[in-house]
Amino acid sequence: MANIAAKRIKREFKEVMKSEEVAGGAIKLELLDNSWTELQGEIAGPPDTPYEGGTFLLEIKVPETYPFNPPKIRFMTKIWHPNVSSVTGAICLDILKDQWAAALTLRTVLLSIQALLSAAEPNDPQDAVVAKQYKENPTLFALTARHWTHAYAGGPAAIRDFDAKVQRLLDMGVDEHQARVALSTYDWELERATEQLFNREE
Amino acid sequence: MAETSEAQASASASAPGGDAGGDDDKHDERMLECNICLDTARDAVVSMCGHLFCWPCLHQWLETRPSRQVCPVCKAAISRDKVIPLYGRGNTKQEDPRNKVPPRPAGQRTEPESNSGFPGFGFGEGFHMSFGIGAFPFGVFTSTFNFGDPRPSAAPRGTAQYEEEQFLSKIFLWVAIVFVLWLVFA
Ligand SMILES: [Zn+2]
Ligand SMILES: [Zn+2]
Repeated sequence: MANIAAKRIKREFKEVMKSEEVAGGAIKLELLDNSWTELQGEIAGPPDTPYEGGTFLLEIKVPETYPFNPPKIRFMTKIWHPNVSSVTGAICLDILKDQWAAALTLRTVLLSIQALLSAAEPNDPQDAVVAKQYKENPTLFALTARHWTHAYAGGPAAIRDFDAKVQRLLDMGVDEHQARVALSTYDWELERATEQLFNREE
Repeated sequence: MAETSEAQASASASAPGGDAGGDDDKHDERMLECNICLDTARDAVVSMCGHLFCWPCLHQWLETRPSRQVCPVCKAAISRDKVIPLYGRGNTKQEDPRNKVPPRPAGQRTEPESNSGFPGFGFGEGFHMSFGIGAFPFGVFTSTFNFGDPRPSAAPRGTAQYEEEQFLSKIFLWVAIVFVLWLVFA
């Protein structure tokens, strides 16, 4: 059984390497061990999205029952997106769950995750806080996502106002990521974010 | 979305072929690849929606999701009875691959130790076992005696090996019946 999984991954790996998406830099796939069970994916943030210019790393674990069951994939790069947990990187995507089909490949899955970055599904969220902001304040959501892309995925666009607020919390001794999460969660209202951070620590 | 791009990719991959014979051959080979293991389909079956699979691969897919039986490629409804076995040239026995017992994932079925004296084995289980024997003579023959290949190897009809397997499985069936009777009356 594990035999068919490893054989298929080898085949898929070769195909991905020859694909035009790899040539064009849209996706990448790297092998992490010799047993063909752990891989690292990489997708480029799609153009005309807050993720543009960012590079997002994905952890890919291939179960022994692959391809009869889907690969387990999560974002290793922190990302602000309604369908991705800002804490764990877990992805809410139907084809990684009950809509998985054995003919899907790592290549098509990576492309689907990339497509998810262009078209979020806020009504089927993985991260309720992000989804709420996406629906209620789309402009602020886009800025926040762009800020995260800059901070974690090497994106080009810094948001000066946000950086300044993160710095204020850093000066108070708050961890950088915690500061960013609190500010993002409270729509970049410094006072509410501070309150929440210091109340929780008591 | 994902499927669309897959189709586009294979279309563009095959487009440059045609000028060289080697590319054509490669393309033909890909046409006959199972959509699940991506290898050349063995015991090939084709679904009503036209998608090709190895029967063992498709069987395992259907068993993995008994409540949601869809084509792994296009998600059309699919079932054991609605696939067509493909017989190529040189496949003289024309045996329906669906009649073979597909290989199972390891560890799903373990045979009891035959020399353990069956402590705690009730009549029900014993009877159930012998029923299985009747239905799958080859399967029981190979799995009970553990001869090499765990897959039942159906020898071509008419050959000496086929006769021998038939004979041995009949003998085993009788042994099983006697054993059950012994369980009941001893
Ligand atoms: Zn197959
Ligand atoms: Zn189909």
